[in-house]
Amino acid sequence: MNEDIENRLRAALRRMDPPEGFAERLLAALPEQDLPARVAALRAARPVARPAVAPSRWQRLAAPAALAASLVMAVYLGQQIGAQRYANEQRAGLEASRELMQALRVTSKKLDVAYEAMRDHNPPPANADSEETRT
Amino acid sequence: MHAEPASFDTRALLTNARAGDRVAFASLVRLHQSSVYSIGYRMLGRRDAAEDLAQDVFLQLYRKLDSIETLEHLGFWLRRVAANLAIDRLRSSAWSTPSLHDDVPEPAAPESDDDPLMTRALAGLLGELAPAARAVMVLRYQEDRDVAEIAHALEMPVNTVKSHIKRSLTALRGKMIGARLVTAEDMP
Repeated sequence: MNEDIENRLRAALRRMDPPEGFAERLLAALPEQDLPARVAALRAARPVARPAVAPSRWQRLAAPAALAASLVMAVYLGQQIGAQRYANEQRAGLEASRELMQALRVTSKKLDVAYEAMRDHNPPPANADSEETRT
Repeated sequence: MHAEPASFDTRALLTNARAGDRVAFASLVRLHQSSVYSIGYRMLGRRDAAEDLAQDVFLQLYRKLDSIETLEHLGFWLRRVAANLAIDRLRSSAWSTPSLHDDVPEPAAPESDDDPLMTRALAGLLGELAPAARAVMVLRYQEDRDVAEIAHALEMPVNTVKSHIKRSLTALRGKMIGARLVTAEDMP
C-alpha cells in the first residue's frame, strides 16, 4: 500500500522552476555593502582576540577617570587661555586709546602753533573784529 | 536522492561566490533555485509566497556564504533553512492558508505518464497536513532525503520523522479514498 502512495507522491512532488527571471531579481535585491569577500577580508584583518582576563576595579575605572581628568583639564586650560586673551585685548585697547589721545593732543598743539604762526604772519586789520561782529 | 551538483566547475562557483563574485553566486542560485522554490511552494501552497521564501533563503545564504564548507553542505543548508522558514511562516498568526495550492495551473514539470489530476490532488492534500509533517513529507518525497538527514534538518528525533511519514501516508491514503481519487481496492 505504502509503496504505491509513495510512488504517487514522488510523482506529484516533482521539483519545479521558479518564475522566469528569479535569479536576476534576487541579484538586484542583494545588498551592495554586504559582499561576503569584504566581510571575510574585514574578519581576517581583525586583531587576534586577547585571552579573556577580567580587569580589576582600578583597571576598569582607569580609562573613565583619565577621560574625566582630561576633560576637566581641557576646560580649565580653555578658561585660562580665554581670560588671558581677554586681558591682553583690554590692555591693547587701553594702549591704543592712550596713543590716540596722545596723537590728538599733539595734533591739537601743532594746530595751535600753526594758527599762531598764521596770525603772526597775517595780523588781522584793526577794525576786523568790529566788521566781523557786524556781519 | 537528487544528485548534488559537484563538478569541479560548481566547486569553483562556491569558492568564487565566497570571494564576492556575484556571477558565481547567481550560478549557484540557478543550480538550487528549483529545490528551494519547490519546498516553498509545497509548504506554503502559493507561488508568490514561495518566491518570497526562496528569495529570503538565498539572501540569507549570501550573508552566510563564508560558513558554507562544501556543495553538499550548501544543499543541506538550503533545504534546512527553506523548510524551517516555511514552517515558521505557516505557524505565524499573519499567515492565511490558501484554498488548495493556487488556482493557477502548476508550472511545467517534466513530462510523465502520471495522471495530472491525481498529481495535482495529491499535492493539494499534502497541504492539509500539519506544518512539521508537511515539511517531513516534502523533504522525503520531493527532495528524496533520508530519514536521518530530515531529522537533522528539522531538528527532530529520527523516530519522530518516521512517525510523521507513517501517519502522513495513512492520512493521505484516507483522504484519497475519501475524495474518490482511488478506491480501497486500488490501495489495499
